[in-house]
Amino acid sequence: MNLNYEHLPVIIVALLLLAAFLEPIVYRHKKSWAAPLVIASMAFFALSSLYLMAAVNYHGPFNYYLGGWAPPFGIELEIDYLAVFLLLTFSVIGLIAIVYGLQDLKHGLKDEVLGWYFTLYLLLMASMAGISVTNDLFNMYVFVEISAISACAIISIKESRECIEASLKYLILSTLGSGCILLATAMLYMITGHLNIGYLNDVLPRVMSHYPNNILISLGFFVVGYGVKAALFPLHVWLPDAHTAAPSPSSAVLSGLVIKVYAAAFLKVFLKAYPREIFLEIPVMEIVLFLSVLAILYGSIVAMVQEDIKKMLAYSSIAQIGYVFLGFSLMGQRAVAGGLLHIFNHAMMKSMLFLAAGIIIYSTGIRRIRDMKGLGVKLPLTMGAFTIGALSMVGIPGTNGFISKWQLALGALDLGRPIIVVVILLSSLLNCLYYMPIVINAFFGVKGEPELEIGKVPGVMLYSILFLGFGIIFFGIYPAPLLAFLQKTVTAIL
Amino acid sequence: MYWQAIIPLWVVLFPIFMTPAIFILSKRSEKLRDGLSVLTAVITFFSVASLYPFVMEGKTIEYTLFQILPELGVTVRIDILSFCLAILSSFVWMMATIYSLDYMKPEHGKNRYYPVLIFTLGATLGIFFAGDFFTLYVFFELMSLVSYVLVIHEETPTALKAGYKYLIMTIIGGLALFFAIIATFELAGSVSLSKGVLVSKPSTLAFFAFVCYLIGFGMKAGMFPLHVWLPEAHPVAPSPASALLSGIMLKTGAYGMLRVLFYVFNIEVVQSARWDLLVAVLAVITILLGSAVALTQFDLKRRLAYSSIGQMGYVLLGMILFTEQGLVGDIFHIFSHAFMKSTLFLAAGAIIWKTGLRNINDLAGIGRKMPFTMGAFTIAALAMIGIPPLNGFLSKWTLSLGALEAGLPIYVVILLISSLLNGLYYLPIIIAAFFGGEEQEHAHGEAQHVEAGINLRGEATAKMVIPMVILGLGCFFLGLFPSNIAYELSLKAAVFLFRGGM
Repeated sequence: MNLNYEHLPVIIVALLLLAAFLEPIVYRHKKSWAAPLVIASMAFFALSSLYLMAAVNYHGPFNYYLGGWAPPFGIELEIDYLAVFLLLTFSVIGLIAIVYGLQDLKHGLKDEVLGWYFTLYLLLMASMAGISVTNDLFNMYVFVEISAISACAIISIKESRECIEASLKYLILSTLGSGCILLATAMLYMITGHLNIGYLNDVLPRVMSHYPNNILISLGFFVVGYGVKAALFPLHVWLPDAHTAAPSPSSAVLSGLVIKVYAAAFLKVFLKAYPREIFLEIPVMEIVLFLSVLAILYGSIVAMVQEDIKKMLAYSSIAQIGYVFLGFSLMGQRAVAGGLLHIFNHAMMKSMLFLAAGIIIYSTGIRRIRDMKGLGVKLPLTMGAFTIGALSMVGIPGTNGFISKWQLALGALDLGRPIIVVVILLSSLLNCLYYMPIVINAFFGVKGEPELEIGKVPGVMLYSILFLGFGIIFFGIYPAPLLAFLQKTVTAIL
Repeated sequence: MYWQAIIPLWVVLFPIFMTPAIFILSKRSEKLRDGLSVLTAVITFFSVASLYPFVMEGKTIEYTLFQILPELGVTVRIDILSFCLAILSSFVWMMATIYSLDYMKPEHGKNRYYPVLIFTLGATLGIFFAGDFFTLYVFFELMSLVSYVLVIHEETPTALKAGYKYLIMTIIGGLALFFAIIATFELAGSVSLSKGVLVSKPSTLAFFAFVCYLIGFGMKAGMFPLHVWLPEAHPVAPSPASALLSGIMLKTGAYGMLRVLFYVFNIEVVQSARWDLLVAVLAVITILLGSAVALTQFDLKRRLAYSSIGQMGYVLLGMILFTEQGLVGDIFHIFSHAFMKSTLFLAAGAIIWKTGLRNINDLAGIGRKMPFTMGAFTIAALAMIGIPPLNGFLSKWTLSLGALEAGLPIYVVILLISSLLNGLYYLPIIIAAFFGGEEQEHAHGEAQHVEAGINLRGEATAKMVIPMVILGLGCFFLGLFPSNIAYELSLKAAVFLFRGGM
């Protein structure tokens, strides 16, 4: 297996971008090729991510200079354990979501925009891949902007009033966030003259003491910038509307992947660019920790009072991204590993839950939780998968949600903060309070309820969620290789 | 490796794998479903029983199945304590399954009931054969969650409400256990049962771990103040499931606490930090509360449920006495109460099944119509009160000896008071059942043959009566002869735990 895989990351991004640009043309002239093109590109993404992961696992991480130009002038890509982990997560979940979307989108979107949807989707995937592999701050900013616009567009593409309103909200706040990120990057460039993360890490310790204000402002802007985009409390306000109004595959990808890529970018910048000593002087991570605890509690509590199932899942995502930031801001080995693991696990869980909700809406038109009595009898596989997802969110052993919580709890205890464990457990209880009633209502107590109209559920939609459900249990019972890999990742970062 | 090492895997996985088989085959034939369920329960019982010679020699087995997280895996353990509870559970389960065959005939949802019943058996045995707290926790949660389906079987609004309370409290208990286990892991680096005492220094984190263990396992065992789910969940379930919930699943909480008190902490730690005082106070309140409130209940099954709360208080008390006699009494009471309470619930179920009567005031004269049922009920009730030579008396006697051994005669007084209360709420039922109600019989419009003799037409079917009678006779024989199998096992288990439990 001695293929020259070092070009692979660039090829992935380039190919996704190329496919994105080809989509409208293909859709205009040969409609039947549009969907296969998307699937083929995403499959390529997934397979090459898998290959890269195996390669990096075996041979070790490597750096790649774009165009052969070395830093500090060229753009460097760092394909380390973190990068391949993110690539794999995004590609696999992204593939499953778009496979699901093939049927669902025909139902929800106007015919002429379907090609555009594929374009935007591929652009989003390309930018997420780019953020994962790049080692250059400005390059990261460029990809962040691309992902912001494509993410907004895959919400508003449904062209209903609430979609456009939600996506406008997202766009405005997201642009503010991007502006903050750009300013922060500029601050760092101003004092070090470097945009490359590796170089920044070398130079910053030397210039830190001369420019304390610049550092402080850049840290603040990064937190706000990435916080808005990752929907960290209290900058989460755009998320509930956006994820609710979007078509289901978009919701799945937005909740499951997009907010995570910004959390991962946050991790990259804060733990790889900035030297560790900064956090001893400036309690940025403490602030983020506090905000993540608030996010966890707020998201769980507000989710309890939601009537629309997608809005409930959206608020749940606010809480779950809190877990990720919790792990990252604790900065311990197990804690960061837990945060990364939760990126993967939650991507699986939340995508599956959103896709299952999508199936429910597709076949019955029901969105309100109150109306979902007895669905388990009509849609047993869907509700069965939903149950597995719900149990995983609560943290029942045997599901991957339990493994993340265990890892995060251990990480918190390692740093002598048992109160964090209490917060995690409290939110698990709150999760139970809003997920379990849906499951119970679906399966039990159905005597005497009116008959529901059930449309046929397309196979692809069902298989995609069953695959994810299987993954949840699989990684709940056998997380060992994943954890070993994350251990390597974290050791390299910290 | 001994061949016995495979038995725990078998007795846990066999029921779990039979569950989908029973579910799928139930669509084809009801008889097949019923037969397979009974067969599974019987085979499981005999498989567990085959461990008897092995554990009587005092040998233990522990091994790791596979790793899930670093330093954390699924491990298996066979020792005398595991065996005690496993044999008890599988026996009562077998009886309850046979009983279910006729009891559930008029019910709906049988295709759901039987698979869940058998699955819960596997999960419960998994708790007892777990070799570390993580495995125990996994099976504990599994058992609790799946038995939810049994609790809400009737699907009436009352049942759903009771089930929801049960579910929430189960999750709360589970989360507390999670905290306790992870704190133990943090303090000791391991949660295995094979490493001896894990936490030997009382610290704040250790205290919180202890409290959380108490919350987690105590909630399951019906300890005050976490007992609130019990009086609603046990009555609302179908009677064979109530028998199992009260008879066996409460004991998993007790089992967990025993493991905590002897394998996570040890006697010195708990007594030196005076944590035993906390448990003792809660146990006493539980005993008195359970017995006292039972007096105010007029629904038969609710009265039995509150009685269970009181009885589990005994178990908790026996544990915390930390004397050998106390421990023998404790484990023997686990056996006794399982036999007594399952008999009582099965009898109550037979009465409800045959006559539809649940209120105690309506049960006058039922003893003449259902002599075997009420006979079994009587034996079990007398055992609960503590009348010699029944097994309830033997366990109270041993517990009292344990209390005296610990130099705390106050507990003997408490035991006597609660026995008195037990008498106050069981005896009226028995007396009314056999000696009352002649006037009512004339008043009822139903066709009643007011004969002087015993009338078997009103009795429940054989498949329901026989398990009930077997369990009732168990109460009798396990108390009559001082050296009976349950007492022997309890004695050996207590000695084993006291010696360090390795």
